[in-house]
Amino acid sequence: MRAFLIAVAVLAALALLPLAVAGGYLLHVLVVIFIFVILAVGLDLVMGYCGQYSFAQGAFYGIGAYTAAILHRDLGFGFWQTLPSGIVAAGLFGLLLGIPSLRLSGHFLAITTIAFQTIVYLLLTQWTSFTGGQYGLPVPKVGALTLFGWELFRVETVRDFYFLALGCMAAAIGVAWRLAHSRIGRQWQAIQDDELLARAIGVDVTRGKLVAFVASAGLAGAAGVLLAHYLQGVSPDDFAIWTSATVVAMVLAGGRASIVGPILGAVLFTAMPEVLRSAQSYKLVIYGVVMILVVSFLPGGIVGLLRRERRA
Amino acid sequence: MSLLVCEGVTRRFGGLVAVDAVDLAVGEGEIVGLIGPNGSGKSTMVNLVTGVLPPSAGRIRFAGRDVTGMPSWRVARLGIARTFQMLRLFKSMSVRENVALALHPKLDGGLLGSALGLARPAAADRDARARADALLDLFGLAALADRPATALSIGQQRMVELARGMIVEPRLFVLDEPAAGLSPPNVEKLIELIRAMRDRHGITILLVEHVMKVVHALCDRVVVLDYGVKIADDDPDAVARDPRVVEAYIGGARKADDAGAG
Amino acid sequence: MYTLDFALQILANGIVIGSVYVLVALGLTLIFGILGIVNFAHGEFYMLGAYFGITAAAIYGLSLFPLLLVGILGVVLVGLLSERLVFRPLAGGDMTSSIITSFGLAVALQNAALIAFGPQPKLLRTPWAQIPVEIGPVFMPLQRALIPVIALVLVVAVHVVLRHTWTGRSLRAMAQHGTLAQLYGVDVKRVAVVTFAVGAALAGGAGVLMSSVFLVQPTVGNMIALKAFTVVILGGMGNVYGAVSAGLFLGIAETFVAGYLTNTLRDIVGFALVVVVLLIRPQGLFGRAIDRA
Ligand SMILES: Nc1ncnc2c1ncn2[C@@H]1O[C@H](COP(=O)(O)OP(=O)(O)O)[C@@H](O)[C@H]1O
Ligand SMILES: [Mg+2]
Repeated sequence: MRAFLIAVAVLAALALLPLAVAGGYLLHVLVVIFIFVILAVGLDLVMGYCGQYSFAQGAFYGIGAYTAAILHRDLGFGFWQTLPSGIVAAGLFGLLLGIPSLRLSGHFLAITTIAFQTIVYLLLTQWTSFTGGQYGLPVPKVGALTLFGWELFRVETVRDFYFLALGCMAAAIGVAWRLAHSRIGRQWQAIQDDELLARAIGVDVTRGKLVAFVASAGLAGAAGVLLAHYLQGVSPDDFAIWTSATVVAMVLAGGRASIVGPILGAVLFTAMPEVLRSAQSYKLVIYGVVMILVVSFLPGGIVGLLRRERRA
Repeated sequence: MSLLVCEGVTRRFGGLVAVDAVDLAVGEGEIVGLIGPNGSGKSTMVNLVTGVLPPSAGRIRFAGRDVTGMPSWRVARLGIARTFQMLRLFKSMSVRENVALALHPKLDGGLLGSALGLARPAAADRDARARADALLDLFGLAALADRPATALSIGQQRMVELARGMIVEPRLFVLDEPAAGLSPPNVEKLIELIRAMRDRHGITILLVEHVMKVVHALCDRVVVLDYGVKIADDDPDAVARDPRVVEAYIGGARKADDAGAG
Repeated sequence: MYTLDFALQILANGIVIGSVYVLVALGLTLIFGILGIVNFAHGEFYMLGAYFGITAAAIYGLSLFPLLLVGILGVVLVGLLSERLVFRPLAGGDMTSSIITSFGLAVALQNAALIAFGPQPKLLRTPWAQIPVEIGPVFMPLQRALIPVIALVLVVAVHVVLRHTWTGRSLRAMAQHGTLAQLYGVDVKRVAVVTFAVGAALAGGAGVLMSSVFLVQPTVGNMIALKAFTVVILGGMGNVYGAVSAGLFLGIAETFVAGYLTNTLRDIVGFALVVVVLLIRPQGLFGRAIDRA
């Protein structure tokens, strides 16, 4: 209950923020953070709760974004159509990647997901006739959001988009929270703890794992659609293995299986390069070093650290 | 009619025949003991009955249904619960969660319901917790309900396993050496509990056990395995006098001594 | 176009590229097999080897063999530092921490290279690049023709070390049974140091050799590392001789796909194979079945 109140308070503060700050830059950074929060919270479902290592979140992110771009190009889809399409397309590929998880575990699974991630990236760069290759594809602004002919909201400026992304993030966190704290979430933890025992008490492990992969990929797909409309275009380098590794680092650094952890991780790793802008060319060196330090010295992530503090 | 029927069940591991053409029937409401020296195939038999391992040959029927080769989670949903010789509990969960989780598959609501948090699953979850608490009380674990399950003593963890099986009200409960690692007073308590399961709740029990006292106190019938082969199937007293069984146990004791010396 | 000569030329090109994959993958598979570390910064070892070679050539005008030495020694130093500062603190942690920290290391090294060497692509030019070699219908510059030869020498050297020295025996003992090896007095720290030194040396050498064929940029290690991983998986993770076969196999398969089908599919071949192999034969194409339980 307390967690819920804090969440509501933070969301309300974020919703009021554009009234207080004029600068588009802060809002821009926050939009990027919101998108990464969706990615990280999504990955937490499959990796933190279900215990299946996936280095393919960037690929699902890309599948969502390119689904939006291609469906806009070929069918003239707008945001209300690209959003569910991107979620469904990424979810289907999530199902596909879930299948190896039924047979493989540990590093074999991790490396299969890396191979999948790389194949998707290579297809995005090299299947030029379909994906536009390195140049990518254009995507329109979200524009007017209508519901049954009523115009709800116009998304033209960064500020407008900020509200849209905030809403999507809140919804994504809500869905992830519900899943993680419902029966399926506890079954995921059972699978992570002891797969054989989970089966022996009647848990359908196949279904559990596939659901985790689909849900996780679906959220990444939503993040991709948002990014595509926000940047008004897609290009492959946003969806390379580095993105996947960064999202994994966000979950580990924040603290897995906690929802809050991945949110903190996403804030840390997205805001850091911005804070470090003054360090100019050294910022990625520092970024890499922080990644190493956090994983080496904070095994439970930030959340683990906070819990230890509170107990001490 | 028998609740569980195994016909000619065989399981090989590479060249080793761990269970060799075993016929085994357990009638509704019976307590059947399964004994034999170390390595005679008892745990393998448990894994075959519960679907953890598929048999290499033979048929298994439960409550009139052919369950041969059925995955363990479906077997569990048909009403077979089990415990493990090497204790198995979910290590990231509390005692209460370990017990309540066993009810989940029975309640399996839709995914959409889970995501949207509809009222019905939430009520069912509260009910599951309440039932877990009631059972923990019965097993003398009420004070430990919120502790991490693996922080408990061996004896307490065995009780948690029993509670986890009981909560689903199984038709057949398969216990793999439940007395292992228990102190004598706890063995007495265990005997009372198992007897109550059958007498009060009508649960049929297949009991793998090393401690002869438990077997004698509880079993209507005893099946003996040696090198995967069934060598006896009779009431406990008759089995205890059976020369083949005595020979198997002395042979087993000798093997154990050799292993200890080597 | 589809003549035997053409096929032989493609085969020769495939062997050249395959030899480089073998060198990079060999170090990767040793580090994985012996230490259980998944090192994604291995491509950066390769990249740094290339830059050290190019820089030494530009400043001192050395010929190929001294350059090779410079590249190898420089990267061995980097490898040892990485082992000490990045991977040793993780000992005992789970496998994904090594994946993530090595990603962090890769980001840091790539960026450091960008600062030190700049973004412009570079190419190693030695006098040997001008000398043509003809073997039957196959034609290539001497510098390129030497790549498989030098790779062979390095692989044989590793083989000899693993088979016939005490150090090699303790490395193999660690790979087969880490805890048991420790009980029998194998010095784990020393094993880790030697493994990283050997792995880095092979990757650095490959970088120097290949910098005359492919343009060198700070990001060049990304694809090489991923390719080397496919080789490691195809060969069976931790399997040294499997990595040799699979490396050559991948190099040749890629050049044939590019030569006869389309260049677009060239890079995808290996990854597609990996997914299939992991599903059907997790021990790899060339690996023995091992007990993973
Ligand atoms: N998963 C397995 N793989 C290979 N051999 C096994 C496996 N499980 C059991 N065995 C072998 O089968 C035989 C019977 O073992 P088990 O059923 O555990 O005997 P018990 O429970 O009667 O002590 C033993 O020889 C054991 O080594
Ligand atoms: Mg046993």
